[in-house]
Amino acid sequence: MKKLIALLLAATMVFSMAACSSGETAKDDTQDTSNTGDTTGTGETTGGEDWEIVVVPKDSSNPWFVRMNVGVEEYAEETGVNCYQKGTDQIDATLQAQLVQDLIAQDVDAICVVPVDIQSLDPILKEAKDAGIVVITHEGADLQNVDYDIEAFSNAGYGQFIMDNLAAAMGEEGVYTTMVASLTNGSHNEWADAAVEYQKTAYPNMTLLEAQPRVESNDNGDTAYNVAKELFKTYPELKGIMGTSSFDAPGVARAIQELGLRDKAFTTGTGMPADNAALLKDGVIKSLTLWDPAEAGKAMVSLALKVLNGEEVAAPLNLGIEGYDAMTFREGSTTVLEGQGWITIDAENVDSFGF
Amino acid sequence: MQKSIKKIFGRTEFYVFALLVVLSVLIQFRSGGQFYTANNLVDIASALIVPGIFAVGTFMVIVSGGFDVSFPALASLSVYATTKFMLNIDYSGGILLPLLMVIAIGALLGAFNGFFVGYLNLNAMIVTLGASSVFKGIMQGALNSKQLAVIPEGMRAFGTSALFTATNSQSGLTSRMPMAFLVFVAVVILAWFLLNRTYFGRGIYALGGNPASAKAAGFNVKRTKFIMFILVGMISAVAGFIRVCMMQQCHPTNMLGMEMNIIAGVVLGGAAITGGAGTLLGCILGTLLIVMVENSMILLGVPTTWKSVFVGALIVIGTGVSALQVLRANRSASRARTMTKEGAK
Repeated sequence: MKKLIALLLAATMVFSMAACSSGETAKDDTQDTSNTGDTTGTGETTGGEDWEIVVVPKDSSNPWFVRMNVGVEEYAEETGVNCYQKGTDQIDATLQAQLVQDLIAQDVDAICVVPVDIQSLDPILKEAKDAGIVVITHEGADLQNVDYDIEAFSNAGYGQFIMDNLAAAMGEEGVYTTMVASLTNGSHNEWADAAVEYQKTAYPNMTLLEAQPRVESNDNGDTAYNVAKELFKTYPELKGIMGTSSFDAPGVARAIQELGLRDKAFTTGTGMPADNAALLKDGVIKSLTLWDPAEAGKAMVSLALKVLNGEEVAAPLNLGIEGYDAMTFREGSTTVLEGQGWITIDAENVDSFGF
Repeated sequence: MQKSIKKIFGRTEFYVFALLVVLSVLIQFRSGGQFYTANNLVDIASALIVPGIFAVGTFMVIVSGGFDVSFPALASLSVYATTKFMLNIDYSGGILLPLLMVIAIGALLGAFNGFFVGYLNLNAMIVTLGASSVFKGIMQGALNSKQLAVIPEGMRAFGTSALFTATNSQSGLTSRMPMAFLVFVAVVILAWFLLNRTYFGRGIYALGGNPASAKAAGFNVKRTKFIMFILVGMISAVAGFIRVCMMQQCHPTNMLGMEMNIIAGVVLGGAAITGGAGTLLGCILGTLLIVMVENSMILLGVPTTWKSVFVGALIVIGTGVSALQVLRANRSASRARTMTKEGAK
């Protein structure tokens, strides 16, 4: 009997693991049932400065979101608004959904969230909206149940910007592929799609690796490193990897260094300056692309405040934050707002950002 | 002679090994001869180091009849605390001091598990599940964890130093065999000796088989469990330390979640989930299989969209084979028992 139970336990574990790794789609069923119906109509009316605005990042240890926290704290200090960041200790769609549910139960006034997984978070955000909570998101353009989604820039524009950087490193010719955190990540895939489209017209001498046009790094430097090694081994003609997550390019760069492909293979993508200073100065990475997460955090809170105060949100929208002072709606959308906040980081300017 | 062949066929290790061979041939074939190249084999060996060391610790706990799900958190906390401390004091020396520190912290955290599991006789899986949260919490709260992009020079040097460098004669690609591989080998040898040649090690097997009989046979069950968890803590901490050295940066959470694949690998290698049976060889083979599958999907030409399905399916099939083996062994054992009973009549 004991053996049977143990066997069952192990089987459950194996299956749950398979379920965890094979996309996050299965998860929403379980969350839906636990928390529906009882949250409607509890949004109480509070006045002016008493708003409580919470920013939920993907996790709280990634330097990207540590930097976002700096922005949120700065905003709170400068304006006196009660806003703060609250994150889970690891990147996990289920944990993030639970955290958002907790915040709904606490009846905060606005939730600003950077979603880990769009499909599983969307129904939870609906609960938030039903409860009268203002929902602002960042990097989640495909979410349905939001008041507004803020993007530092149009995804197409940023994708093209990364492609320009990759093309410059590759000498505008050769075979390349794209890397995203996961195939379900909204923005990463939009950047990569746009970059590939743009390359076809702008850099006709470059070709996409058809056999593996998109690979996953799971937002993990070690995975990016191992995947890159495998790619370069399998496809000797591969000359460039376009990264999107901030773990991609540094991980790929380690593989390039180790495989002896320096100056033969190239990578670029999003990356934090301080973390990559050594790689940039070493020259294995020529340039990285970025926007400032601190400013994005401020912009989310600022927009949440506007909505809470009942101010009109119309393009061009000025949130009073650099790069977010002339925001426009994405074509065909009434919820997605885009700014112009991209920057290039290279060996020269890497030390000038202070983060 | 016939008997020994039968013995080999009856062992789970044989099936895992056969699966490894079949899979490697398949990858070799699908990747145009890339699997059996010097640099690819070195890559696999290098990717095996950290999961392999973790697996040794996990194996000990499973053999003792429990489950440990806290080792990634334990390793993360130990190595994060060590790295942060070393950075704070501007440590510029060699690898020895940080290594000793990380082992000491690992032992301490292992003792935490060991106390509850051993002396209070609580279920290992529940305790380690809780401990995992506690360790994460300490990292998050007390140490205010965030990614450390730079690690002390001594650790970085160790992580990037190579035993040898393998070159692929065709593509010219080079791969480093990390010095850390020696640590993996050392851990395996020590664990083998401990489990098979010492009274303490036999105690671990005995109490996994049946704690009451182990006690009756004169083993100190409580102390054995306690010491075992300390050892597992030390082993896990070493694995975490090596991972950070090799990655040249310390990310506090990206080891979390590894426990599932590691446990699957150990079970796949034939360790009985009910405790008391299993071999270190099987444990390493099972882990190697998981590592190989995870790092060969592109070589195999599996599209990214299907990767997790493929890995998951292989684990289910692999553990299924192992479970069947265990079932078959149990059946023949019970048959043997009835036969002896009848003989006694």
